[in-house]
Order: sequence, then C-alpha cells, then structure tokens
Amino acid sequence: MKYYPNIPDLNANSSINLLLKRAKENRTVGIEEYETTGGYSALRKALTRFKPEDIVIMVEESTLRGRGGAGFPTGRKWRFALANPKPRYLICNADESEPGTFKDRIIIERDPHLLIEGMIISGYALGAELGFIYIRGEYPAGAMILEDAIEDARKKGYLGKNILGTDFSFDILVYRGAGAYICGEETALIESLEGKRGHPRLRPPYPANEGLFGRPTVVNNVETLANIPIIVTYENYYMNIGPAGYYGPKLFPISGKVKKPGVYESTMDITLRELIDMAGGMRDGKKFKAVFAGSLGIYSEKELDVPMDYSPKGFGGTGTTIVLDEDDCIIDSLIVVAEFFEHESCGKCTPCRVGTYELLNILKKFQEGTATEQDIKYLEHLCENIPVGSICGLGYSAPNAVRDALKKFRDEFYMHIEKKCPAGVCFKS
Amino acid sequence: MQYTYLTEDIRQKIDKYLNTFPVKEQVIIQALHLIYSKYRDIELPHMEELSNYIQVPLNQIEGIVHFYDMFRVKRNARHHIRVCKNLPCHIMGCKKLLELFEKLTNEKANEESKHGRFYIETVECIGACSVAPAFMIDDDLYDGTKITEEKLNEILSKYT
Repeated sequence: MKYYPNIPDLNANSSINLLLKRAKENRTVGIEEYETTGGYSALRKALTRFKPEDIVIMVEESTLRGRGGAGFPTGRKWRFALANPKPRYLICNADESEPGTFKDRIIIERDPHLLIEGMIISGYALGAELGFIYIRGEYPAGAMILEDAIEDARKKGYLGKNILGTDFSFDILVYRGAGAYICGEETALIESLEGKRGHPRLRPPYPANEGLFGRPTVVNNVETLANIPIIVTYENYYMNIGPAGYYGPKLFPISGKVKKPGVYESTMDITLRELIDMAGGMRDGKKFKAVFAGSLGIYSEKELDVPMDYSPKGFGGTGTTIVLDEDDCIIDSLIVVAEFFEHESCGKCTPCRVGTYELLNILKKFQEGTATEQDIKYLEHLCENIPVGSICGLGYSAPNAVRDALKKFRDEFYMHIEKKCPAGVCFKS
Repeated sequence: MQYTYLTEDIRQKIDKYLNTFPVKEQVIIQALHLIYSKYRDIELPHMEELSNYIQVPLNQIEGIVHFYDMFRVKRNARHHIRVCKNLPCHIMGCKKLLELFEKLTNEKANEESKHGRFYIETVECIGACSVAPAFMIDDDLYDGTKITEEKLNEILSKYT
C-alpha cells in the first residue's frame, strides 16, 4: 500500500449531490468506482457527440462563473482564448490559499477524477494539448492523489494520445506551489508555473492572449472545472439547478463559531442566514456578530439576507464564510486579516507593500489603546489608495475588510480609542 | 561532479521532471520540494548542486528560495510543525494550541530549533478551517478541535 499523509474529516455535506456526489465521505474515490458511478461518461459523450464549439456554447449558456472568487463568466474567458491561435494551454488553479477557503481541497482529495474529467473536456473545447494543475504546496496529499489519479486515467486511455480512439490528445501535469498566496492570482500563477518568482504581470496582455510561455492560456478554478462534466451530462437540464442567471451547484466553506463547520454544497438561491442555519446555527447559543467573507469584506447582522449568488448585491466570491460571535473582537480579527495581507503582499507595487504594513500598524494602535480619531481618517485614506495603486487582486482586496468594518462596526473603533473592547478580547491586563 | 545532497533517488525524480515539463526552469520548484522533504531546510550547497545538475543559474534558484515561504526559512529540525494563525483558527484558539506545542516540544515558535527534532512555525491558512485550529506535522494534517495535551503528546511521539 502506498503511503498517503493523514487527512482528518473536514465534513462535507450536500443535499443536491452534484459536485459532492462521491465526496461526502472522507476517502479518495478510485477510477473503477468513479466509472461505475457515471464517471467519464460525460467525456465519452463530449468526444463522440459534440464538436469543441458545441461545448463552448454549452458552457456559455450555462452561465457558469469562475468559482475562484472573481466570478468572471467562464464561457467568455474561453472565447477570448479561442480567438488566438494554437497552441493553447489550460491551467487549473488549485492554489486556494484564501483564509477560510477549503472547498477545492474536498474535490481534489476525495474525487480527483471529477476534476480530471472536467479538465479533459475543457481541453477538448479549447483545443489545448497540455494542461497543468497548479496545486498549493500545503496540499502534499492532494498532489500525490492527483498524480496517481492522472496515472490511472492514462492507463485507461482517458489521457494521452488519441483519447478514446479519437484524434484528440491531451495530458495533465501536476505542479506544486510553495506557500505563496499571491500565486493564486492568475498572472502570478503563470509566472510561478514558468519557474520564476510569483510576481503578478501587468495586464493587458491578459493570459487569454499571452499567458504561459507567451501562449493563449485559460486559468480556471478547481470548482469551475469540476462543473464542466456536470454541464455536459445535464445539458439544458443544468438550467434547472438554481436561480436564473446563476445556475449550477456551488460549494460554501463555512468555518468559525457554527455548530457544524464544513463544506456545504447548494444552489445559489439561498441566503447567508440559510447557509448558517445549514451549518447548524451558532455554537453554544452565542449571539451572531459578523461574517468575514474571506478577503471580500464583512457582513453584519443586518445583511444576513444577502443572496449567495454573483449578482452585484450578492455574496459572490469563493463563498467563504467565517462566522464570528459576540466573543470575538472586530479589531482583533482585522489585525489577523491585516497580518495575512502584510505577509502575503509580493512587494511588487509599493502602495500594496507599504500600505498593508501601515494598515496593520494602525490597527495595532487600536488594540494597544494608543489610537486617536486621526487614525480612523488615516485608515480611510489607506482603504481608498491601496487598491488604486496596485496591479492585482491582492492589492484590490487587501483593505476590503477594514473598509467594511469602518462602515458597519465604526462604533467599535471609537470604543477602542477609549480603551474599551465590547468583546473583552483586547486590553486584558 | 559528485553530489552529496542530491541523492540517487532525488536525481532520478528530477530526471523524470526534466523529461515531462516543457522547460527546465519548471523543474526548480519541484526539485526544491524533493530537497525540502528530505532535509527540511534549503541551504546554499543544496542550491549549488541543483544549479549544477539542471544547468540553471544559481541566482534564479536563490531568487525562488527567498520568495517562497516553504523554502525560505532556516529550520534546522527533522520535523516541521505548521500551526495555522489565520482568522478561522485564530478565533478557535490557535494561540493555546501554539503554547501547548511550545511546552511539549520545548521549542520557541518561529525560531531555529534547539534540539533538532521539531521546528514550530505559524503559517497562513492551510485550508482545513472546519477542523480549526488546524495544524500540520510534516505532510500530515490534523484536527485541532478537541485536542488535549495527552492527545498531542501521542501524535508527537510518532515523529522521532
């Protein structure tokens, strides 16, 4: 038996059984089991019944949006790359490093063939011959599982030359990252994949025009690619899953002070309140305080009815939900988030490199009780200017949490100036 | 050239990467992972040998080692404990877990190991937020929700 690193049960739940159909138990589904439960039938169908163009149209009509956080329509992204000549590359972004996000890991470790099948079909649609899976360095087990699954798929003829007897050839290589959050940004990921330091590139040119090795490249998230076999299988019935315009299943990783934290699969017509109820509600009967949505911002109690879709007013993003209760201090939490961005800023753009550092230092003043009202103004100034002066998503989203907190929990800042902490976390002597 | 750090096994795996990846620069990070998992530290002699073996300038390899967190730190220990310090783990009590680790291993977090067995590092999200406070020892991931001193001692005893 081959040795695999230990993975505890991360608790995956689903009522609709699409993405997590085989992934609810803590074990890896092998290729035989995957095939007997309907696996690789979507690939067979795609290669025998459809032209690449048909699949692109299908994905466009499905309204599938990138599940990596930005929510960009996948079909449109593919279309941009298809306008450019071959060779094209497909990259799977498995570098999920956003605090509170652990949804892709469930697919990679439990149902790797779903991702592989999605990649092969996408490769067929895009006319790509080589795909990469960029998996983060902190998922050593995931990398091993993927490598073995790819080897199994090669043996069965799903990967390699002339797949299933057609003239389509495709192969996948696994590439491990090494602990840099910035490499989840698609241009930084491409730099890292080329064997360089992971600094984001100036855009344009976008990866769809000039990506990996200067060739047209599509970078898609794990969950996005895992949706592709489902789209091909269900075709028009896919449009019955979820609300209009935001069809398809979505994974929501919930952590923090809820009874049953874990990954929950659902359609996007639920609200944040329903999602928290799905996770068993608040732990120990405590009062709800806020939700940190990864790097997207903060939601207060008033906004619990926000829909979990990609509409302008929706929750969007990766679906990351970190639930805080009355015992958690907003300032203290903001410091943890600011520390993360200060550490992970790659240093290419000065406003981000210095701005995240300043953000952290000012927030610390609130915790130490040395802050003044002037510091609130200074925070507002930084929140406005860090995104403007940065070229990638990290700089754009670094001040989001602070900006939201200044709007929704402003009184906590004033209380901290007076050396009072409503949650009793700061100023302990 | 004689290789002291790049063992036969590591070189074979590097050869495999060289044959599969389109360009040899792509091998650097993968090869550094092989070195990291064997030595838990990446130092100049390792980089020099790698540079010589795959014929890539040393400065490029050093640039990569100093950029990526997993390679940058000098640990000087056989085993690498990673305790997540991000928001989900923070609110679920990673500080207590860290103190427990420091007490049981007699090492200070984020400091070069004194005894050569464990290096404790606070890291950014390791993607296991439902079992927060999550921690990793080498390649293994653990559930920190109901951890006690006894249980932790038992886990640590597996790593000699």
